[in-house]
Amino acid sequence: MTTAHLNTEFEQIRGQLKSFILRITASVADAEDIVQDTYLKAAEKIDGFRGDSSLKTWLFTIASNLAKDNLRAKKRWTEDVTDICKTAAMSNQQFFQEAMHIRATSIQGDFEIKEHIAFCFTCIAKSLPLEQQICLLLKEVYDFKVSEIVQIIETTEAMVKYYLHTGRAKMINIFEGRCALINKEGTCHQCSELNGIFNPKQKFQEEAVKIDLVREAEKADKEHLFDLRMQILRGIDPFESGAAELQLHHLAHNRKVMESFLKKNEV
Amino acid sequence: MSATTSTGKALTTKTTFSRETAVSIEIQADASIVWSLLTNAADFARWNSTVVSIEGDIALGQTIQLKSILDPQRIFKLKVKEVEANKKLVWGDAMGNRVYTLIKDDQGHTVFSMAEKIGGLMFPLFARFIPPFDASFEQFAADLKKEAESIMQAN
Repeated sequence: MTTAHLNTEFEQIRGQLKSFILRITASVADAEDIVQDTYLKAAEKIDGFRGDSSLKTWLFTIASNLAKDNLRAKKRWTEDVTDICKTAAMSNQQFFQEAMHIRATSIQGDFEIKEHIAFCFTCIAKSLPLEQQICLLLKEVYDFKVSEIVQIIETTEAMVKYYLHTGRAKMINIFEGRCALINKEGTCHQCSELNGIFNPKQKFQEEAVKIDLVREAEKADKEHLFDLRMQILRGIDPFESGAAELQLHHLAHNRKVMESFLKKNEV
Repeated sequence: MSATTSTGKALTTKTTFSRETAVSIEIQADASIVWSLLTNAADFARWNSTVVSIEGDIALGQTIQLKSILDPQRIFKLKVKEVEANKKLVWGDAMGNRVYTLIKDDQGHTVFSMAEKIGGLMFPLFARFIPPFDASFEQFAADLKKEAESIMQAN
């Protein structure tokens, strides 16, 4: 394996790697740093790469380890992250002013419901134990096989299966109890509320039913609804989409709010 | 005492000053999966229909607060007394200990056993107020087997 091979492969997966790390860390700066460090580390060790896994799996292994190091000392977010951040946003006029400015001026300032669904998953998945979050993303969003995830997170097949199963079960349970898109009793309507702010002329319900997850909400079982949610994530690059700047601004706000919340509530 | 076969059927032995219930069941899953299920407090109530909730960390020296369907109004404060990863877990209070053991068999499966002995000099005075554990133990073992095997069989 040569540096030229590495460069070619790295350029092909850079986007996936960056979105994967963003979804783990919820930080654009950390995602950029970790992707950069992944390349440097890979370039340094490329002579020792023996092809026991694909190069892509090897690069995701390096990136996952760097992300784990980055997050080791940080607390996990709480399941009610969207409530906490909403309360903070309501009393933060500057946040809305900035968001409206992005909405009005940026080519990546659209507000799209499916983008918010993906954003919402990123925030709530940070309440999972880190291994569960990483496994879930690798399998459900980045299409890695269990055997490849075993290599990436350096554990047994049994434990990967455990992380996947429990992570998935927990996320299904959270969304079923909260998300008004899939459950009439759901308490969280943030995507519709924000749509009303950013797209005041749009009829939310008409837009929402264009999304499979919403259209099938009443008839599909919760496992299938989760798969549809994952399909949305797979179809979105959080750095490249037409809603990227608005959603990344929102993510930066939530990260700041959660860091402060967790610090205040430190045991 | 231990359950003699791994059938999932509970056995209870009574003496004047104690009562012990045990159950054992073979689970076609890796011990690490069974262990993870047994030591993840926050996830317990999802798969275990005998438990209402467990709060705290199931880690050596920690105290957990357990609510059981046997008496949902009561919170059992239990200390985690022994932890040997993938092999043995003990928690309990002054009344007695709950001992979980995992043994790997030749086929890579796991024999799960659970036993609880309660007793002491005052036991005869309150024995009649303590409900039998047999049905709850059998349900616990069945739930654990079902969950661990469904994880193991997933792709």
